[in-house]
Amino acid sequence: MNNTLGIIYSNPSYILILIGIFFLLFIPLIIISEFLFVEPFLVFSIYPETTLSFSLIVLLSLFSAFAVSMNIYRIKLIKETKKIGSSIIGTVIGASAGACSCGPIAFSVIATFGTAGSIASSFLTAYEIPIRLTSIGILILVIFVTTKSLSRECKVKL
Amino acid sequence: MVDAKKIGVAGAAIVLVTLVAVFATSYMSDFETPRTSNTGEETQAIQLKGAPVLGSKTAPLTIVEVGDYQCHMCKLWFKETRPLIIENYVETGKANLVFIDMPFLGRDSTPASEATYCANDQGKYWEYHSTLFEYQQEIDDGWANASRLQAIALNLGLDMEQFDKCMITDDHRAQVNANMQMAKKQFGANSTPTFVIVSPTGEAQKIIGAHPYSTFVSVLDPML
Repeated sequence: MNNTLGIIYSNPSYILILIGIFFLLFIPLIIISEFLFVEPFLVFSIYPETTLSFSLIVLLSLFSAFAVSMNIYRIKLIKETKKIGSSIIGTVIGASAGACSCGPIAFSVIATFGTAGSIASSFLTAYEIPIRLTSIGILILVIFVTTKSLSRECKVKL
Repeated sequence: MVDAKKIGVAGAAIVLVTLVAVFATSYMSDFETPRTSNTGEETQAIQLKGAPVLGSKTAPLTIVEVGDYQCHMCKLWFKETRPLIIENYVETGKANLVFIDMPFLGRDSTPASEATYCANDQGKYWEYHSTLFEYQQEIDDGWANASRLQAIALNLGLDMEQFDKCMITDDHRAQVNANMQMAKKQFGANSTPTFVIVSPTGEAQKIIGAHPYSTFVSVLDPML
């Protein structure tokens, strides 16, 4: 696994993609989840009882960045899009969890979809942690399968 | 035949783009009016519409909290930031606190708001308000159903006959609806908690979200 990661990230472009995807997810997620406020001042705040939620956002962003960048490498290498779908699905599920909460997204969803929106919003809020854990599980699986597949295909190509 | 996996990828991409679009539009609308100035109408309206005030009514600043009793970020703010504001601004007479209901998260939100006004009829608005946040659980999981609202009233020593009558006859539905309208139209709130700090000159500063105490200090002190 280390060898595969070493090969992929020896190319600086993939490190940049990794960092880019990480921040592309991490920044919106910590704003949605009210860890980072940009108005009226730029304030970062984390309370003891939200530490777990914050840690899961870090992990989710990190694993998403790895899964997507590895799959971009894979697509370039073997022109196959087989596993990128799973990583995007994992990312979307994780990003959706807790995104509604009591923020403006929930307000928009509830105002647009009424009771159905309210049920969906409360479900995503209530099961925020399990949903994020599930999506992290999906992403770990994607990373594992991609690594295995890359090392096998690389060997074949050699 | 179209590849099912391609459809999955396309579907996931559409969901991702939709999420980003909803996020962007929701938050951009917040940033359009972070600061507002007025002529003190907000303070007047709050007093006129009968929302209970915590602290001195003559305090120079009024902190208006727009919230929903089922909002977990409101609970977080209630537990982490509010006690410091009460201690350093409300109890010292620098500011008073007003809660404006915006019950939008679930079916139990509006009855919970109404119950606080029924408690207010017996002089226990803030006690009921605090109890709701202390016992808050998941949205609509029954923690704020009719029997639990009664139990809270009973624990606070309210006259149950009066409380029940108040709840059954929806005595304060109009007040809660008026608060909801005030929250949306007057304060431009589209999420909870939203705070509006009103100064004696009528200058208003909006704070969106469960900000830490340091934000309030930075906003309140220059307005004093």
